[in-house]
Order: sequence, then C-alpha cells, then structure tokens
Amino acid sequence: MSNIGTLLGRFLTSWTARGIVIALALVFALFPVIWITSASFNPTGSMSNQTLIPSNVKNLDDLLTNYRRLFDDPQVPFWRWMFNSLFIAVVSTILTLLITSLSAYAFSRFRFRGRRSLLLSIFLVQVFPNLLALVALYLMLIQIGKYVPLLGLNSYGGLIMIYMGGGMAVNIWLMKGFFDTIPRDIDESAQVDGATHWQSFWYLIFPLVRPILVVVGLFAFVGTFNEFLLARVMLNERETWTLMVGMFSFVSGGEFSTDWGVFAAGSLIAAVPIVLLYLSLQRYIVSGLTIGAVKG
Amino acid sequence: MRTALARAGVSTGAPALSSSPVGLILRLLALAVIDVFALLLAVSIGGDGNIFLALAIVATALIVTVITLVPGLWPLRWMSPALALIVLMALYPMFYTLYVAFTNFSDGHRQSKVEVAELLAQRTYLPEGGTSYTWTPFGNEAGDSYGLWLVDAEGNAFFALPDQPLQPVTPGVSGSGPYDEAGIPAQMDGLNVLQGGERFRALTTLQTMQFGDPASPVGIKSRNEAGAFVSKWVFDAGANTLTDMEAGIVYQADDSQGQFVAPDGTFAPVGYWVPIGLNNFARITGFFSGLSNFGPQFLTFLWRFVAAVVAGWGVYRFFGKTDIMEIWLVRRVVVPLLLLAVFAEPLLNLFDTLLPVPLFKVFGWTVAFALLSVLTSFSLGLFMALILNRDFPGVRVIRSLLIVPYAIPGMIGILIWRGMFNSNVGVIPATLRDIFGSSPAFFNDPGWAKFMILLVNLWFAYPYFMLLCSGALQSISASIYEAAEVDGANTWHKFWNLTLPLLLVAVGPLLIASFTFNFNNFLLIEGLIEGGPPIAGTVAPPVGHTDNLMTYTYRFAFSAGGTRDFGYASAIAVMIFLIVGTLTLLQFRLTRRWEEVGENV
Repeated sequence: MSNIGTLLGRFLTSWTARGIVIALALVFALFPVIWITSASFNPTGSMSNQTLIPSNVKNLDDLLTNYRRLFDDPQVPFWRWMFNSLFIAVVSTILTLLITSLSAYAFSRFRFRGRRSLLLSIFLVQVFPNLLALVALYLMLIQIGKYVPLLGLNSYGGLIMIYMGGGMAVNIWLMKGFFDTIPRDIDESAQVDGATHWQSFWYLIFPLVRPILVVVGLFAFVGTFNEFLLARVMLNERETWTLMVGMFSFVSGGEFSTDWGVFAAGSLIAAVPIVLLYLSLQRYIVSGLTIGAVKG
Repeated sequence: MRTALARAGVSTGAPALSSSPVGLILRLLALAVIDVFALLLAVSIGGDGNIFLALAIVATALIVTVITLVPGLWPLRWMSPALALIVLMALYPMFYTLYVAFTNFSDGHRQSKVEVAELLAQRTYLPEGGTSYTWTPFGNEAGDSYGLWLVDAEGNAFFALPDQPLQPVTPGVSGSGPYDEAGIPAQMDGLNVLQGGERFRALTTLQTMQFGDPASPVGIKSRNEAGAFVSKWVFDAGANTLTDMEAGIVYQADDSQGQFVAPDGTFAPVGYWVPIGLNNFARITGFFSGLSNFGPQFLTFLWRFVAAVVAGWGVYRFFGKTDIMEIWLVRRVVVPLLLLAVFAEPLLNLFDTLLPVPLFKVFGWTVAFALLSVLTSFSLGLFMALILNRDFPGVRVIRSLLIVPYAIPGMIGILIWRGMFNSNVGVIPATLRDIFGSSPAFFNDPGWAKFMILLVNLWFAYPYFMLLCSGALQSISASIYEAAEVDGANTWHKFWNLTLPLLLVAVGPLLIASFTFNFNNFLLIEGLIEGGPPIAGTVAPPVGHTDNLMTYTYRFAFSAGGTRDFGYASAIAVMIFLIVGTLTLLQFRLTRRWEEVGENV
C-alpha cells in the first residue's frame, strides 16, 4: 500500500503531471471566458453558428455588431443598468465604511456601561442573514414607499438601506477587530495634547486603518454590485434594474434565443472592470478571505 | 501613568453636547427634523394598520433622540446611525418575518377585516327595482367628456356629469336650443346631444361610467334605462357577517382562517389577514405526519446507527493496535464501509419513504448541495494549491489566471455557463454530440442537472479555497516535514497525517461558513436552471428537482404564476433561520470570536 502511495505521490510531484494538471485547470478556468469573448465579436450574434474564431467578418466594423446592438436597443438600457448598479454599490459602500468605522472606533476606544452587552447584541444580529427576511423587507418597502417614494420599491434609497442594514453588524465586528490592533497609545497621547476624540479619529486612526478600509470596502462594493436576489425583488421596473437583474432578463425570453452575442458583449463590459479590480487588489483579498469575508 | 490618567479622562469625562453653540443648535435642529419626519411617517403607517412598522420607526427615533440628548450616553453618539440601521433594517425585519410566519398573509389575504370591508363597500351594482331614469347622452367633439339628461318616473329632469351632484333642470328652458319634443336641448354645459350613430358609438364608453355624486352614482342599465348604483357588499361588524346584496348570500366571517364563508361552504372572493397560529408550520410538518411508516423506519435507522457507532468504537478499541489495522486501506476504507453497511439499508428505506415529499426532496438536495459544494471545491482548491506550492517561472501569472472565475460577477459567470450548456445549440452538448453521438439532457434530467450545478459551482468556488490553502500551506513550518521524513514517512503519509490536519485547523471555520453560504445559495440555482426540471405532480407553484430551500421560499413568496403566500414562505424562512443560525454560532465557537467579546482590548 505504501508503495502505491509513494509512487502516486512521486508522480503527482513530477513536473510532467504538474504541467498536465495546470494546463487542464487553465482550460477549465478560461474556456468560458474565451468563448464569451468570441461570442461578443461574432457578427451573427446567435449561438448556433458561433465558432471560436468569429467567421463572416468582412471588416473590422462587423466585429462590433453586438456592441452596437447592445447600446442601441431601447429594450436593453445597458448604461442605465450600469449606472444603477454603480450608484447603489458606491453610495452604500461609502456610507457603510463611514458609519461602521465610527461605531467600530467607539467600541474599540471608549469604555462605557453596556458596552459588552451591546457588542453581544450586535454579534447575535449578524447570525441571521437578511436575505431570509426577504418577505418582511419587501412588505416594509411597500409600506414606507407609500409615503416616502425615495425609500420604496423601485428606488435606489430603499435598496441602499437594505444593503447597509444587512452588512452593518458584520462590518462593525470586522472593523472593531482591526481598530483593536492599533495601539491605544497613539490616540491617547494625542488626547493628552488636547486633541478631541473626533480629531484623533479622523487625523490619526483613519489614515492608519486605510488598508483595512480597502478590504472591507472592496468586499462591500463587489458584493453589492453582484447582488441579485434582493435587487430582483425590490426593483420591478426595467429602468430601475441593476446590471445583474438586467443581464438575467436575457434568459427569461427564450434562453438567449437571438441575444447571445448582445449578452456576451454586455457580460464582458460588466465583468472586465471587476476582474481587473480583483486581480490588482489580490494581496488585500487574501487577507480579507481569512477574516471570513464571503463573496456575495 | 500618563496612559492611565488619559484613560480615566477618556472614560469618564463626558463632553458637553457640542463644543460650540452653533454646533449645538445645528445638532438639535437636525434631531428635530428627524423626529418630526419619523413621527409623521409612523402615524401614517400606523394609520394603515401596520402597527409593528410604526412602532419600529418610533423606537428608532427614540433611540437616536435619547442618545443625542443624554450627556452620559456620548459614546453611543458615534454609533447612532449604525444602531438606527440595525434596529430598522435588521431587527425589525427579523421579528416581522417571525410574525408573518404565524399569519395567513398571502394574495387574497393582504388586508385586515375592516380594511377589506371598506374596500368591498366601494363596489356597487345596479339593483332591480331601484330608482330608474330614462337617459339621453351628451358628449363633446373629442369624445372624452360625457353627460346624461335623466328623467325619473315622476317626470323630474336632471343633468348628470361624472363626480358632480345631479343638477335639476327644466325641459325646454335649460341649455341652449333647438329643443326636441321632450324639451331636451341640443347643447348643455358645452356638450352636444348625441343621436343615432353617435349615441350608438358612445354606448360602450357610457356603460363603464358613473355619473352624479360618487357616493350614490347613476349608471346605464339598458338601452333606455339608467339607475342608481347601491353597495354590493354590506359588512355587519356586530353580527360579523358580510352580505352580498346582489346575490342575497350572507357570509359568516371565520376569524380562524380569515375567510367569509357562505352557508354552502363557499368563500367570498376576498379573504382577510388573521393570525393562524402554527398552521404554516403544521403545513411543513404535515408533509411528514401523513406518512404512516415513517416512525418505525426512523426507529430502525436510529438503532442501527447507534449499533454502528458502538461497533466502530469496539473495532478501533480492540483491533486498533493489530497489524491488519496498520494497512491504510483497511483502516480508512474497509472498516468504515463495513460500518456504513450496518445502517445504510435502513437509511435507504427511510429515504424511500420520504422521497415522494417535495419539501423533503428540497431539504435533502439543499444539504447535499451545500456539502458536495464545499467538499468538491475544497478538494480541488487544496489540490491546486499543492500543485502550485512551488516557485517556478510563471506561477504568479497562472495563479492570477486561475482566480479569474472567482472574480467574475457570479450572475454573469452562471449565465455564460447556462448558454454553453444550452440543450439545442450550446457548445457543450453540441461538442458531446459530435464526439459521442448524443448528449445528456442537462436541463431536463434531474441527475445531470445536479451534476451541471456542481460543475459550474466548482468553476467559480474552488479558486477561493485555492487562495486560502496557498496561504495556509505557506504558514506550515518545513521542519515538521523534515522530522517526518526522518521517521520514514512518504509523501502520502505526510499529506494525510500532517498537511491535512494542520490545514483543517486553519480553514475549518471557513468551511462551515462556506457550507452556510451554499445552504442559502439562491444565485446559482436560480441563475443556472431556475430550480428545474419540475417535480411531477407539483403545481402552483411548481417545485423543481434542483430547488433548494431558498429558491423554494422565493417561489412561494414571489412566483409570477400562483398565489403569493407570504405566510408560508416566512415560516420556511424561520426554519432556515434556525438551521443557519446554529451553524453560524458553531462557526464562531470554533473561531473563538465569542470569547473576543469579553476581552478588554
């Protein structure tokens, strides 16, 4: 038995085996990406006659057929969806970072009665994902939206509030952990010199935790940008959809039937910035992963 | 001792509400605006009958106000926006979900009894033998404004416009001529009398209109007759009955199920919203209680399971030191398989009993998917991390390329695969047909559908574990392996006895987190296959072979076709709450986050 183990181990560690495995893994990882890229440049735009190298291309202009259709089709307000997604993701990320870092600073630096029980309560809230309160959130937006349309269904405000509320408890806990690693001596000596809490927070601590803000901010941004279920339930009008809800609509009317190329073009435009963001911030991501941030 | 002094100053020195009077005034002003806004909103929403949301809004405003005004609570001021958001957007929805789970809230049961009665009171009909008029229509050139010249049985004439009280008129005098033989003018209030073809064309529109005072409107009954509408439904709060005046049926309100019930047992077209206690949960467990042989089979399974555990303990206890157990295959494969065989048969019987139940199928697949997802993506991730755990030219580029699927927005990646698997023209079935002559029905065969889901999941999930394991592998000290080699361990031994246990310590809690995440994985199932193919015999809404608990809940709450049943969906959500909450607490127990709370950092 141990002989087989040794042989297997030796083969797996050999460079030939390594090469084969890596090649297979690369094909598995990249084939869909290559295929969708090719589809986006295929002038006929349909799935059935797609080839890996786009055929029927007479001039360079033909390559962009799908992109033109994507931008011109009034049924697919692509840039509007992109704007909706970016707006919701950027606003909720910035607000989340501000609000959670304030709370985390207070929990990390101040000692007050009820601190422990408050921390525990917030801790327990995060045990329940707000995804499960979907029905309650939906009814809530209907009820509030009757009087404040800015926070109702089909509004940016309602969805932003839901995203912020859902991530609040988790993010406070993450951030507090980071604030705790920064020596208290730093802000205490500043306060001896007469700085207020606000000044020591804003001018001393905030710059120090910037790498952490990048991690939390990146996960909040990408998570919100990619979120589908809540957006689909809360946004019912085509104009208010986020990009992910909009892209999903390509399959609702007959499995991409004639839209495969247009979908491919939209997918590439939507995915490339996010992929580049991930790859450029790779080292931050690894640290984010180990503290339990889960991709949405 | 400077630190101690500072700390004392920090903890006890409550600063004034604001450093400057201007800041103070601004803050109070902002607080006043927030409070007035919250109060107005709460009163309006409370007026609609949504007491819980009104209370939640008041509570949120109260928390913010108290924190701002009480000087001793100044540390909380830093977190008042966060607390407000948590109360309103996390706590309230949680409790409201729990509340809705105990009600029959669904399409057709969306309002309280009083609201339903008010809505029904607005429905009217034209009774036989009520006030009756002869009518002559008036209209403008554009055809968007109409009036009626009415004459009642006593010969009194009226002119009627929509939403305005009937206006008594005198034939031959009111309006402007020429007048016909009955004294009806050619023009009245800017409208012309309609005759012949004009009258005929206007008929369809006129039949849908109501004229006169909205409280007691008049409408057209037939070619010559107009009549006064009366309420079709009359609700009697004292007798708790709803009467259909047109059909003459008295419905008795049944507050236990939120329906108005006729003597013959039929329901009125609209029900109302009532608490129904544990009925939604009973519906969930009711699926199981109907199975007569479930109990005995469960007991058989239980006792065999206990027997297997005891036997296993015995085998390892008494034979653990013998030569035969030294063989890896025996220790790790043969003995566990033998033990599994002891309770495999009753387990399969149990499954056979339960499998016809859709909810059990959904639950089983939810657990199976979450487990298999973690198992496959962790295994492949670890494997690739081991492969790439060497420095060679290009390793960084390869690693970056391999995490591309993880970086692609989930929905987009899923939809790309959905297109590639397309039954008719997708590249994967087409290629399989070219090679083997046929292709599995990935979207119509439950088994292949599940295979496809796991494959797509593997594609974008394993790079996460590859990243994690790469990091963890680098932190394992090389000296342990050197020591093992001195003891004669081969590669396989080293992996199984050193690498894996050490990795699991580091990655274990994240495996639980990943399981929890996949337990709720809505995106993959809905995006790739929308729960299909449907289980035979399930309708309104159809339940699919690949539905997990999350998509199942979604289908009951938001399905386009059937009745939207928020109460039942919430009941299932509460059950998921319990499972997921337990898992998350277990995960925190393992990461010792709980203990962090007590630390005075």
